[in-house]
Amino acid sequence: MIAFKDKSSGTVAGSLTIDGELIEFRDGETIYQIAERCRREVPTLCYDERLEAFGACRLCVVELEGIHNPVASCTTMADDGMVVKTKTEALEKHRKTLLEMVASENSNLDVDPLSGYASQELGQLLSRYNANNGRFAGNKSGDSNRDDKNPFILRDYDNCISCYRCVRVCAEQEGDHAINVMNRGFNTQITAEFGNDLRDSQCTFCGQCVQTCPTGALADKKALRASDLPGDISKTRSICPYCGVGCAVDILTKDDRVVGIHPAMDGPANEGALCIKGQYAFDFVHHPDRLTKPLIRQADGSFREVEWDDALQAAAAGFSKVREKYGRHAVTGIASGRAPHEAAYTMQKFIRASFGTNYIDNCSRS
Amino acid sequence: MTDQEIIECWQGEDAPLLPILQAFHNRDDHITEAAIKTIAASLRIPLAELFATITFYHHFSRDLPGKNAPRVCTGNVCCLNGGTQLLESLKAEGATAMPCAGRCDDMVPVLRGDKIYVGQDADSLENRPTPLPADNPGNAEECVFRHIREEGRSQLDGYRYSGGYCALESAIMSSRKELIDLVIDSKLAGRGGAGFPTGLKWKAVNEAHGSPKSIICNADEGEPGCFKDRAIMDHDPHALIEGMTLAAYATGARRGFIYLRYEYPETEGILQRAIDEALNAGLLGNDILGKEDFHFNLQIRRGAGAYICGEEGSLLNSLEGKHPFPRNKPPFPVTHGFENLPTVVNNVETLASVANIVRKGAAWYRDLGLGEHAGTKVISLSGDIQKPGNYEIPFGFSLQTLLHDWAGGPRAGRTIQAVTMAGLSGGFLAADDLNVTLDEACIRGRGSFLGAGGIIVFDDSRDMVSAAHDAMEFFAHESCGKCFPCRIGTQRLTERLNGNDKQLSLENWQEEVDDIGSVMKATSACGLGMAAPHITESLQRYFPEAIKSHLKKN
Repeated sequence: MIAFKDKSSGTVAGSLTIDGELIEFRDGETIYQIAERCRREVPTLCYDERLEAFGACRLCVVELEGIHNPVASCTTMADDGMVVKTKTEALEKHRKTLLEMVASENSNLDVDPLSGYASQELGQLLSRYNANNGRFAGNKSGDSNRDDKNPFILRDYDNCISCYRCVRVCAEQEGDHAINVMNRGFNTQITAEFGNDLRDSQCTFCGQCVQTCPTGALADKKALRASDLPGDISKTRSICPYCGVGCAVDILTKDDRVVGIHPAMDGPANEGALCIKGQYAFDFVHHPDRLTKPLIRQADGSFREVEWDDALQAAAAGFSKVREKYGRHAVTGIASGRAPHEAAYTMQKFIRASFGTNYIDNCSRS
Repeated sequence: MTDQEIIECWQGEDAPLLPILQAFHNRDDHITEAAIKTIAASLRIPLAELFATITFYHHFSRDLPGKNAPRVCTGNVCCLNGGTQLLESLKAEGATAMPCAGRCDDMVPVLRGDKIYVGQDADSLENRPTPLPADNPGNAEECVFRHIREEGRSQLDGYRYSGGYCALESAIMSSRKELIDLVIDSKLAGRGGAGFPTGLKWKAVNEAHGSPKSIICNADEGEPGCFKDRAIMDHDPHALIEGMTLAAYATGARRGFIYLRYEYPETEGILQRAIDEALNAGLLGNDILGKEDFHFNLQIRRGAGAYICGEEGSLLNSLEGKHPFPRNKPPFPVTHGFENLPTVVNNVETLASVANIVRKGAAWYRDLGLGEHAGTKVISLSGDIQKPGNYEIPFGFSLQTLLHDWAGGPRAGRTIQAVTMAGLSGGFLAADDLNVTLDEACIRGRGSFLGAGGIIVFDDSRDMVSAAHDAMEFFAHESCGKCFPCRIGTQRLTERLNGNDKQLSLENWQEEVDDIGSVMKATSACGLGMAAPHITESLQRYFPEAIKSHLKKN
């Protein structure tokens, strides 16, 4: 039996059998969540753990003793005594057929990994089930908005499989409700109101739709600029420099070039979320105008490049001069609202301890 | 009416979105971008969501010519009766095709604005009432149609003349439990096709926590070849209202909705008149029949063209103004229905049976069925048959007797090649399997189901592959697009039947059709996707030669 090691966090609601193994679960857990926890590798395409389970792709169906048809494990809550099978011959056959059907509606199954965080999901499942084999050939679904004039998000709906993760992440995680599902059946289409370009919608270009898209139908236009650059993509974990939230990011590089950003799904502050700046505003890194060394203004107004020690000395001298001439209350500190907690603390300490004044405030109040 | 007047008229009501959209659609002949923006702002619905939801319904026009341009039925039965030619002849007026409009016992229906015209060609189109069911040809005792042919039955006086509302009067003298037990005892079950015991549903809602509770009548009769609910509502509207009020009494529900399909515009007027009569007579509204604390507020909500809204989860989402995808079950509507509160969702025929059951007793109703089967079922019979129409049969009745003795058999010189079951959802029965009795046990034994009771007849002059194609095209048109097996499966099966499959050998064709069918039946999220493969399955079972020649033609 797989039991919880830590009994303190939440009560055990019961136990169920998955593939012959007895497993404890907590209140509110779905069969899919338990199966994942126990590494059953149940395939899905419409599932994103941050979103409400939707039950569209039906790949995660499992057999449940006493129920005639397989059930979608993502939308079925665990119940005490359930007996579940996740991998029978019949289920695997259905999954393969479903994947073959999905492959048949898309025109491009070879997707550049720079397209987005989840962009390889469909391709990986197609290989796992050997399902890209030309069966069920027929009309393709989707109607591309490739000419949507925004610099960030590529909308290539020829690759869309209508899992609606983009629509759901926009509504549930971002609260923007910028896109939705129009029409029905094979003609469903992801759209902003009146078929508008994203610029004319409620879209904030946070890129969350791109990062959850499992097929590259929504893709990162900026990252794809580097698709022809030679070299492998490497990922470096870091923290977004823009504000105090501390969103964890994976910086994508090819050789020594930053080519894109992925939100870190396990980032404790952001859990996969990013905003437009953290997601797309990285061009400054390689910009020729970027300052790479401190500069000190000369008497004639021109700038001289110096080392950090010299620059800090010059700044300290300037502060001291003001305090000596006009007194300790002549200095005021305004901390940036985007600075992290530690920096804000250091700032107030700097003002209070170094100058002896309480003139310290935050830009949010100024 | 101004925008503001329309909004104010509905904003405080339950389920306001559909009537607001209908009002703008009526006023402007289509739903303009400006209207969508106003409605989104007033009801605080995100603009993209409202826009997308409107596109789901095929009767909402967003361009001109809009609502008043003719829509011609090209459903399976109307295709047999010249619907496609009629559509062609009205093209100059901007006519477009619509799926089965539930008038299969008459000539081809054409919807213009809020009127249905029927006729064989453009010159013979006329607006006329829904045909009354013919006198029961076997003199079988009836429940639903017991009084429907009486004069003035659609008005309160006429309804009361033969004992109308007596059931309600007597039921409120006793307890809810007694009423529920009586309905359970009668073995009345869902006549929309699912067959869930009605009394047990009421019991569950009565016992569920949360209020206000709701009674919803599913009058979205969208299944091709089904037109029984229309006959009941047009000719016996008070039977439905009394049934719903009895359900309200049994469950303590205070809100009621009739979710009426868009294609029945005249029915809305008939129902509204009947509701007003009942209100004035103290049979609806507050303190019904003087009984303190017995309130029931009944309203009509008209759909806008979406077969899936007959699925109860979609229906509830549609009423709530959400995107009409089916809901994941459990939880079921009896605990989490309209606005996530306990809700009864019953079909028209089910609800219209209740008053007579209460008056005549549970045993009387049970005994109407043959053998061990309880009660009756209205069958909508159409297609290549001498006397199409609605017939109330005892459960367990012979299909051959219905076809040949009651309905006059095929047209002269023809034989019956196949019939559909459950409208289209049950696929075809043919050959020896026409010797069935009409009850779920028997029909399910042949790989089909009785469902809502629509039966379409195809005689030996018809091309069954093309009939199957039209049926599958309907399911593809109506698939909501949420779950993968149905969204892609209905499309691919339509393509396999459309005669353009040039590359496939018979073996590959069969393998593909079988695989799609089995994945749809096993994994679809709702009944639409599970039922659609009955079409291809039964085609393969009964007409293998037709498939061979279909593939050879290519």
